[in-house]
Amino acid sequence: MKFRPFLLALLLAVASVGAQAADLQSFGRGSWSKLRAAHDGQPTVVHFWGLTCAPCLVEMPEWGKLQAQRPDMRLVMVAADPVPQDPARVNDMLARANLAKAENWAFTDRFNERLRYEIDPEWAGELPRTMLIDRDGKETVLTGVADLAEVRAWLDTQKKR
Amino acid sequence: MRSLLAFAALLLFAGTAAAQHQHAKPGAAGPEAFTATPAFGPDGTLWLVRAMADKIVVVRSTDLGKTFSEPVAVTPEPMNLDWGPDARARIVVDPEGGVVVTFAIFQDRNFNGRAFFSRSNDNGASFSRPRPITTDSTSQRFETAAVDPATGRVFAAWLDKRNVARARAAGKPYPGAALAYAWEDGEAGFGPTSIALDNTCECCRLGVAFAGAGKPAVVFRNIFPGSVRDHGVVTFKDEKTPGPVRRVSADDWKIEACPHHGPSIAILPDGSYHVAWFTDGSARKGLFYARADNGDTPFGAPRALSTPRRQPARPYLLANGTALHLVWKEFDGTKSTVRWQVSRDSGRSWSDPRTVADTADASDHPLLVANAGRAYLSWLTKADGYRLIPLEDQP
Repeated sequence: MKFRPFLLALLLAVASVGAQAADLQSFGRGSWSKLRAAHDGQPTVVHFWGLTCAPCLVEMPEWGKLQAQRPDMRLVMVAADPVPQDPARVNDMLARANLAKAENWAFTDRFNERLRYEIDPEWAGELPRTMLIDRDGKETVLTGVADLAEVRAWLDTQKKR
Repeated sequence: MRSLLAFAALLLFAGTAAAQHQHAKPGAAGPEAFTATPAFGPDGTLWLVRAMADKIVVVRSTDLGKTFSEPVAVTPEPMNLDWGPDARARIVVDPEGGVVVTFAIFQDRNFNGRAFFSRSNDNGASFSRPRPITTDSTSQRFETAAVDPATGRVFAAWLDKRNVARARAAGKPYPGAALAYAWEDGEAGFGPTSIALDNTCECCRLGVAFAGAGKPAVVFRNIFPGSVRDHGVVTFKDEKTPGPVRRVSADDWKIEACPHHGPSIAILPDGSYHVAWFTDGSARKGLFYARADNGDTPFGAPRALSTPRRQPARPYLLANGTALHLVWKEFDGTKSTVRWQVSRDSGRSWSDPRTVADTADASDHPLLVANAGRAYLSWLTKADGYRLIPLEDQP
């Protein structure tokens, strides 16, 4: 019986999934240049994650919290699994991390080499990966689980400019 | 309690289904395996096992891959195949022409796997109903079978999570998985499972070569102290005694994740070891090759293959007589290419890298296979299908 509150929370979380499903966009060949053009001149945080990346799934809710704390952050989430995943499961994870309202993309092309090359020719595919893009288009890459204090500091710097 | 949980599960299902129905914009359905793995039989037949969506099939060719037989199903009913980027169904042929296929399925959404094997003793006309390779049901993935060339006995190694479950039950941490192995016991199945080593990286393919009768050498991504995921080789002293871990290279890749990018190994008749691998360590990044004179000496300095800007990946080594072949995949901005090098002096010097195949869409990892003294590239691509390309004929 003592598990009841947990179950209730689970039920609520589960029930809210459908309502908050992310508006997932298909990331294929040419998507990166479109994405960059859409955010041109605006400081933007692009976070690459994957359903098949365990540390990503642990980190995701932290991004959800950061987004809630920092409405000034333009956040783009890209699910970059090397083998394209079921969009329903991608949406499900985004909703659970409170990231359904972020700009969400998912790799849908199995030609992973090509997608990665368009983003960064030297990216070997490791996840998670975060790209901080300033208003001049300068990219700063954080590999692995991001230090969100570093992201906050970067956001502050962007405001001052 | 039980009914509440069931209700929660029902809601989860309904929620997922609704989300899929309303927001299934991306065209991709569920992830699917896309691999083709070759093996030559003693009579020169090329056997190919294909993992396709929810089934495993075997085809064979008696004209070096120009034409193939009708596919024979290994899986009698649809199965939830392991589609991980470094997973593959595998096939080996024993000296009597018996064909053994291994593959894994996902048991759940947490990527816990179950490794199966199936045998055909009627020249591939039918396959036995797939059976688990081990009795423990916790999780097995990256199963790899190899025939001991001296004894004809089939060896299997895989990454096993039984000790993870045990540690967790005891409240102890257990990073990674264990390197497990078993030998085929007659034709009835695999004998008892043993653990060769705990705490290896959990989702990279293994490489197997033989150092002598009953002496498989397994290369794998290990977890060294500090969560450093560099490569190690374990050479068996005999069928039941795995030796110590010999580190291939100190790349210092500290990562709390698994890169889905495993190594390859070959052993030449002179006893020399050859390993190729991918790393993103602080000491070096990219694709590398190193050799060791024998099973005891340290590996020499790593040699970089290509440059990181060309995304070099998925290396594969093959000893063919005294020739040592090495292939890997690169991306040139438009096409994936397979690059090839050969060494005829035990890996000390190499031919210039040469492109032997390319494709402008998704592809499986390049593999190497030999028959009657000739080496071939075996490569499955989405745009061009399956190809068996002789390497020795390259100008």
